[in-house]
Amino acid sequence: MLETRNLDKSFGAVHVTRDVSLKLERGERRVILGPNGAGKTTLFNQLVGELASDKGSVHLAGEDVTALAVAKRARRGLSRSYQKNTLFDGLTVEENLGLAASIHTGHATTLWSDSLAKPEVREIVQDVANQVNLMPFLHANVSEISYGVRRQLEVGVALATRPLVLLMDEPTSGVGPEMAKGFHDLLNNLPRDLTLLIIEHDMDLAFDVADTITVLNYGEVVFDGLPQEARGSSLLKEIYLGSWEDA
Amino acid sequence: MFRHTPLRYATLVLLASVALFRVFTAEYFGLEILTEIFILAVLVLALDMVAGFGGMVSLCHGALMGVGAYAYVMLSTIAGIAPPVAMAGAIAITGVAAWVIGAICARSHGIYFIMATLAFGQMAYSYVFEAPIFGGDDGLGGISRLDLSFVGIDLSDSRSFAFFCLAILAAVYGAAVLILRSGLGRSLSGVMHNEQRMRALGLTVWRVKADVFGLSGMIAGLAGVLAAQHIMYISPGLLSWTVSGEALVVVILGGVGTLIGPLVGAVAFVMLKHELSAVTTYWHLVVGCILIAVVMSRANGIFGWLEDRWGARIDRRAADATRNQKTEEVASDA
Ligand SMILES: Nc1ncnc2c1ncn2[C@@H]1O[C@H](COP(=O)(O)OP(=O)(O)OP(=O)(O)O)[C@@H](O)[C@H]1O
Ligand SMILES: [Mg+2]
Repeated sequence: MLETRNLDKSFGAVHVTRDVSLKLERGERRVILGPNGAGKTTLFNQLVGELASDKGSVHLAGEDVTALAVAKRARRGLSRSYQKNTLFDGLTVEENLGLAASIHTGHATTLWSDSLAKPEVREIVQDVANQVNLMPFLHANVSEISYGVRRQLEVGVALATRPLVLLMDEPTSGVGPEMAKGFHDLLNNLPRDLTLLIIEHDMDLAFDVADTITVLNYGEVVFDGLPQEARGSSLLKEIYLGSWEDA
Repeated sequence: MFRHTPLRYATLVLLASVALFRVFTAEYFGLEILTEIFILAVLVLALDMVAGFGGMVSLCHGALMGVGAYAYVMLSTIAGIAPPVAMAGAIAITGVAAWVIGAICARSHGIYFIMATLAFGQMAYSYVFEAPIFGGDDGLGGISRLDLSFVGIDLSDSRSFAFFCLAILAAVYGAAVLILRSGLGRSLSGVMHNEQRMRALGLTVWRVKADVFGLSGMIAGLAGVLAAQHIMYISPGLLSWTVSGEALVVVILGGVGTLIGPLVGAVAFVMLKHELSAVTTYWHLVVGCILIAVVMSRANGIFGWLEDRWGARIDRRAADATRNQKTEEVASDA
């Protein structure tokens, strides 16, 4: 469903992602682990096209999308959430979801009707609000909801374009352990045919949702396999727990 | 995202009633001032659409108005096309010009956007100024107003023309509201709040900006057509960047991104101009001081200040009123 071949990116002399090749099957749920600065977010930026890669290619549903702009890749079914909330501040939760849904349904550029009032758009908004537990907050302004709820909305907005592949950059970053657990239940309840690529810091939580695990260290894929293999891997412990203790 | 609140409705009704009353009662000089207000109001509605709802602070809306005025005169007076057709043509030409400017400037933001639009405006100004076909510095005269005699309206009469401009202003306000509430307008709000996210969600951002800029340009062009018909003479000064600057002042004075604020701003600006210029030639100084006071107050213009002060209270009252009405209905049902 989503494949990368030999992706590379440097910022000046800093080589941030090195020769990253990944392959996700339809419906696969893969978690990317890796210490701070490993290049995880950079890889996401390359996948969606917000950063141009120095080398390599990105394939979505069998098609080479490397040359496509961000918006075009998104319309082909690639959606992402951000590590740092990237919401429509000043608008309501409902409007946030509605803007995303109206792009997916093709009502975002019409002059002849209100996209947010369209039945298809409203239906997606309701569905997504249910999926990410936002029903009680639909009419609240983004500025009025708590940080944790905003994290849910961050994922909700990405979901409202009804993507084939959803990239989530540390959806639980900054939320308490209680809420993080809730988040993982929520992820487990997403439709099974949705392909998920999730950056996650907490290993236990990662193992909770992952079908497969990729570990990135200094921009390189150092592990690619099943969670149970990862659990036993001494390499992983070294990189991951090592940096954990440093932090 | 644009919303009508009870305070906004109330202000609209008040503005409309006073305007209607004045149109029917004012003498010649008053009618001239009213017409000036209405035309400026059309222009600042166009500007608020892009600046207040799309973050596109344009310094070429004066020039767009000028393009509309010149296009109308060229089509009607020089090419001899019937005024209604010339009017539609002028609006279309300005819309296309604005769309192109919007498409080119869509990738720049903030000060760079302002400068890019200013450059386009200045190009239009100097072209009109230099090209002999536009009459250069002397401008063009002999402009005819629309002929509405088939419905018994004589637009050469000041009162009829003022009423005509008011009717157009009302229609433009309605159109602006519809545009802002359409899918395109919603997306524009999304872009203003978070352009990166809209793009990541799959929106072709530059197209949305260009489309709304084009629509706004059509409205500015319409203001130009009205201005040409009002004065019945046009000169390159119409395209000068100071006209754009003045329109921006009016929008900020009234309240950016409220649509109604700029209407209030247009009334305040034209009234101040006429009242003060009768007393002192330094009236610009006074307007400047007022503008500084408004900006320093950190309120969103005159109307923003009203909304901060009264909006919440009036909205709550209105909500209570509807709730009481509902409970009464329930009680009477029982
Ligand atoms: N635009 C940029 N310009 C220069 N350097 C950058 C840029 N973006 C990221 N980097 C650098 O690239 C490295 C990887 O950053 P990235 O954000 O991808 O890491 P990460 O794995 O997501 O880390 P974290 O777990 O902290 O989110 C870091 O050293 C960062 O400073
Ligand atoms: Mg990161």
